[in-house]
Amino acid sequence: MSIQVDLVKGAKADTYTIPPIVDGTQPTRIVEGYPQTARRTPSRPLLRRPLTLSELTGPLDLSGRLAATSADVAGQSARRALGQLIVLRLAVRDEDGSPIAGTMVEMWQANAAGRYAHPNDSDHAPLDPHFQGNARVQTDASGNIEIRTIKPGAYPVPGPDRWWRPPHVHFSVWGKVWLSRVVTQMFFPGDPLNEQDLILNAVVDAEARARLVARSVPTQAAPGDALVFEHTVVVRGKRATPTEHA
Amino acid sequence: MMSAVSMPIGEATIGPFFPGAYVDAGANDLTRWQGRSAQGQLIDIRGRVTEDEGVPLQNVVLEIWQADANGIYRHPADPRAKHADADFFGWGRAATDADGAFHFRTIMPGRTHLPNGTLRAPHINVVVLASGLMRQLQTVMFFEGNAANATDAVLACVHPAAFQEALIAKADGPRKYRFDIRLCGADETPFFED
Ligand SMILES: [Fe+3]
Repeated sequence: MSIQVDLVKGAKADTYTIPPIVDGTQPTRIVEGYPQTARRTPSRPLLRRPLTLSELTGPLDLSGRLAATSADVAGQSARRALGQLIVLRLAVRDEDGSPIAGTMVEMWQANAAGRYAHPNDSDHAPLDPHFQGNARVQTDASGNIEIRTIKPGAYPVPGPDRWWRPPHVHFSVWGKVWLSRVVTQMFFPGDPLNEQDLILNAVVDAEARARLVARSVPTQAAPGDALVFEHTVVVRGKRATPTEHA
Repeated sequence: MMSAVSMPIGEATIGPFFPGAYVDAGANDLTRWQGRSAQGQLIDIRGRVTEDEGVPLQNVVLEIWQADANGIYRHPADPRAKHADADFFGWGRAATDADGAFHFRTIMPGRTHLPNGTLRAPHINVVVLASGLMRQLQTVMFFEGNAANATDAVLACVHPAAFQEALIAKADGPRKYRFDIRLCGADETPFFED
């Protein structure tokens, strides 16, 4: 908890600011070929506000408000989902690499055929009766979670500018303060569709884009019945620093 | 290993398939938590989320964060946290329906104290997550008729001042407020850097 206390200790909480986003490390808000982005993105510039307790606090212990689920999304034996079994080792860190313990992580994904168990997904691909494709898990004391699931399939985005989404897993993470909230997507290394995906490539900085792609753990190093992928989610918040002006 | 500083990970749209199960029944009701009732004046907040040209948006996820009735956040960064209402969690989530409509039931937040001795006007922080929003949108809701709005440090950042009206929830009957969120267009809601 020391992180948040440091943010406001003995200082004017309304004179804090956070470092601006480095160009290209976040997705562009309007994406050519993805028409909804232009209809939903504000036309005026975002406003810079002083940071107060409202932004430098946030919901902790969300398991008291949102029901956690099993970290086994794939299921077992006769109820096991179809597809390639995988284990996702997710690390939640702040910008200095410190683990964020006890923060809620939500994940959701398509099944092995590229279909979501969601009423809005009208794709032709089949549902899998043994796969719902979502989980809600709190990080452990080391800021990590491990989710057992199946590798999601690619799926087409309907519309005039139809393109295929590469296999990906959605993650929603809180961190410790309001400004550390992040919703992101994790991609799989080496998938040729990664290079064509409008959403992944909306992050124009190559290094930042690479941080959206999981690392494959060598199979010799991860014996068992699943392929193992490691991924790190860095949330902002710790580098909130006082401004000199105000 | 504390020397390396990394950038926050890239955000991405929640996509069209954010699980319905994640909008837990009751997550939009902040007045009840673990079977107990929060202190303070109950209020209902209703509104609609629209995209360009006023088209309502279904399946938008809204999350809110606010102080309790005494203006205290349930978080160790608030120097008054130990006096926070034990029956108020302060966070909620709602999704919009086919008409773009959402509903929160909560309590009127108190005025939060800042270490420099000033007070914020009662307000609720709002984050908007939706398919087609590559990054989250942050805004803040204030309440019609509260004199403190005139001196709030965040509301004052909205220029020209006429745009501030869009951040003020309108009284819509006893203990009821209306707050529409217009993502894009001439009358769009002001949003803040996240
Ligand atoms: Fe998806």
